[in-house]
Amino acid sequence: MFEKLLRILNEIDADYADVRYEIKKSVAISFNGKELTQIGSNSTDGYVVRVLKEGGMSSVVFTKEDDANKAVRSAVENARLIAKNIEKPVRLAKVKAVEDTFIPTIKEDPRKISMPEKLELVRKYNDIPLGYEKIVTTAITYGEVIREKYFLSTEGARIREDLVTTRLSGTITSKDGTLTQNVTVMAGGSNGFSSIRNQEKNFEERTAIALDLLKAKPFEGGVHNCILSPLLAGVFTHEAFGHLSEADIIENLPAMREKMKIGCKLGSDVLSIMDNAPLKDQLGFYRYDDEGVEVRPIQLMKSGVLTGRLHSRRTSAEFGEPVSGHCVAEDYRYPPIIRMGTIFIEPKEHRLEELLNMLGDGLYILDTKGGETAGENFTFGAQHGYVVKGGKVGEMVRDVNISGNLYKTLLDIVGVGNDLIFSQIGGCGKGQLNIRSCFGAPHILVKNLVIGGV
Amino acid sequence: MEKLLQMAKRFCDKAEVYSHGIKYNKVSFENAKLHDIESAFQSGISLRIIKNGKLGFAYTKNLMNRQELLQNALASLEGEVEANYDFPLTKKLLQLDTYDPSLENLSSSKMVEECVRVCDLLESKTNGEIFLISFTPITEIRIINSEGTDVSIKHGEYEVVGGAVYPGSASAIIRSLESKKFEKLPNDMVNEIIELYNTSSKVVEPKGGKMKVMFMPNSMITLNWRILNGTSSKSVYEKTSPVAQKCEEKIFDEKITISDDPLNDKYPGARTFDDEGVVCQPLTIVENGILKSFYYDLNYGNKLNAKSTGHGYRTLIGFGATDEIAQKPGPALTHMRMKPGNKSFSQLVKSIDRGIIIEGALGPHSGNIPNGDYSVGVNPGLYVENGEIIGRIKDAMVAGNVYETLKHVVDVGDTLHPSFMGAWVPAILCDHVSVATKH
Repeated sequence: MFEKLLRILNEIDADYADVRYEIKKSVAISFNGKELTQIGSNSTDGYVVRVLKEGGMSSVVFTKEDDANKAVRSAVENARLIAKNIEKPVRLAKVKAVEDTFIPTIKEDPRKISMPEKLELVRKYNDIPLGYEKIVTTAITYGEVIREKYFLSTEGARIREDLVTTRLSGTITSKDGTLTQNVTVMAGGSNGFSSIRNQEKNFEERTAIALDLLKAKPFEGGVHNCILSPLLAGVFTHEAFGHLSEADIIENLPAMREKMKIGCKLGSDVLSIMDNAPLKDQLGFYRYDDEGVEVRPIQLMKSGVLTGRLHSRRTSAEFGEPVSGHCVAEDYRYPPIIRMGTIFIEPKEHRLEELLNMLGDGLYILDTKGGETAGENFTFGAQHGYVVKGGKVGEMVRDVNISGNLYKTLLDIVGVGNDLIFSQIGGCGKGQLNIRSCFGAPHILVKNLVIGGV
Repeated sequence: MEKLLQMAKRFCDKAEVYSHGIKYNKVSFENAKLHDIESAFQSGISLRIIKNGKLGFAYTKNLMNRQELLQNALASLEGEVEANYDFPLTKKLLQLDTYDPSLENLSSSKMVEECVRVCDLLESKTNGEIFLISFTPITEIRIINSEGTDVSIKHGEYEVVGGAVYPGSASAIIRSLESKKFEKLPNDMVNEIIELYNTSSKVVEPKGGKMKVMFMPNSMITLNWRILNGTSSKSVYEKTSPVAQKCEEKIFDEKITISDDPLNDKYPGARTFDDEGVVCQPLTIVENGILKSFYYDLNYGNKLNAKSTGHGYRTLIGFGATDEIAQKPGPALTHMRMKPGNKSFSQLVKSIDRGIIIEGALGPHSGNIPNGDYSVGVNPGLYVENGEIIGRIKDAMVAGNVYETLKHVVDVGDTLHPSFMGAWVPAILCDHVSVATKH
């Protein structure tokens, strides 16, 4: 394969070029309620070429080898056009040209497990919620994505890496009269099929929550002090803070860039945040990004002070900050963009009971229903919550959606727990999908969150 | 494709081959400067087969090995996914004007030139940070099946989306153009960005509570997503639609009329057949507030003893869906139109005593969508008092239930604008909507 890629690279008249070819093997098994709606395995492939010419950088994606010349011509022309239209030429930070093959060791290779066995396991999990009368439907999918990547650059990088992702995810829907409620259920990781095993308890617990939600009260909107569960705190970290740590997001937003200067005190003293993609056994794990740069742990915030940022080679040069290895693509259909790997709030000393006592009156909110961010503003939904009075967890409430301002909220984090948990499935949609986007946190106590209610 | 279909027919009762190709140039400007140009030449093939009422499905990008693709489809038959429907025989189709050859020759440099013009205008009249994306997807779809159907369509689209970001945020006043060929961004649109940006640049901190809320085309996805979910045959079949039993009943205010209009080639992306080869036709979903119909694909039509309404699409709606060929068709309303009213935007604003114009919504995909609940951050929200925009608010959430909110429609705007998911909608002003703020 590398010979073929080398032929493509050799045809490119540019100052720098790289080519990435990928074979993507996918397995999907889906149930909607009792019905199996999808099963199968598939293989797709394609090429991404990036060129830097006269200070302009452009990329092209193509499917057919026969289109290589046409595609490369288009990328070179576009790069020259960019060069003519910009004042400051694009530069790429210098990196070591890596030659390596990295095939991770995993616990239970999903490729070695038969489709009938996978199907039976998913069916078994799916049957758990469906055994309850008020569960009207489920949407449960087992997905497996294996990216076999080949990367070659004109600087001499030559990298072969595999990324194996397994995921079990979906929703359980309960209904009583006209009231419909749903909860998500998830398991998976970068570590093979073992992460899909033994999920019975998980499905039982999620089903119980879906049923309890039918009796829960909707929550009145307003401003409340809240304890966020680890997964919810993780979503907050990813959505509100993490995206602004991606240099390409703020690169051309001058006012935001000014606010996010390294050394600025943005968070409370108890808050330290890290991105550690090399952390083994977590969903966000990889060794080389899609620019051929080895990823390294980045301390993003230490005791409230901004200390680092996630970079591509381009933004690293632009910001004059070290490369981090965070330029990652969804697959062969996209050029890479800056992505978080495994981002998390570092744990502190508090147990949950202590945080509840510190909270006194407020809300304890759990689990994520997805979130979104736009610069300093963020929003995300909690699947459910509990009213807390005098440090005691009380009745369940539903439809808790939170909105806030990043800068105020970072300062309003007043307590950090000792129970760090990482997410097992990802799905960040920053233009492309990142199924290995991993986040984590312990329980955290936050003051003054705006809750939307219904 | 033909060869693959012939091979498939040897092993099963019914077969369908779907091909999808796309090429594009995408020019992006950040902070009013050229940032990137991307291009693409991509294609793929998807195979559906039916044998003894069971479905097989497989796809690939490079059709290097037909046998392997067929084997993958045959292997997936063993899962026994039910498929008790037939592929259609579609012959005579209307001729629509969906592709302008001039788009093929539209150069990146002309796209850049137009972006420079617009950026300069916006930059000179606002203090916002200007971004602009210009995108020219040309797509080709062809479907052949064992019934003898062989249909194809080519689409060309010129899209521009951009606006002015309030410095220090990533919140912006954004407008978009969707056209079948290159055209300059109309002055009206540029001026609207400038005016709205400038009138809302001051941050205000009003009290929350129930008030009037205007959903703009950019934030209508909040309501549309829930309407599309509730009126989908899939939700009816799964018993998750709150309006499943309400056909011919009034579910919204009488000012609300929603239809699907795939054949209207005034808009880009018009279709004569869906992604299953079924003939497209206009369909009324809600008429004067009364629920008239659900929309069906072949599969859910069959399950509910109804015919496909021509709404089987390999839609990219939904989280995780990123490649047409990898998606099985499912019910989707891809050409949604809401009937415009007779009030201009400024007349609508004048009729607000106290309220918020939601220019963009944060988190429309979150929350209890089947139930119709929504709870979105305003991004941005323009605050109006006594008929005047007096600033924008931050850190506010607007929440409600679509089946409640659309019962309190004050008025509907007179112009359709592109919204997400192929919809064209007017601005809709509603009353008694709950707004939570920090004050």
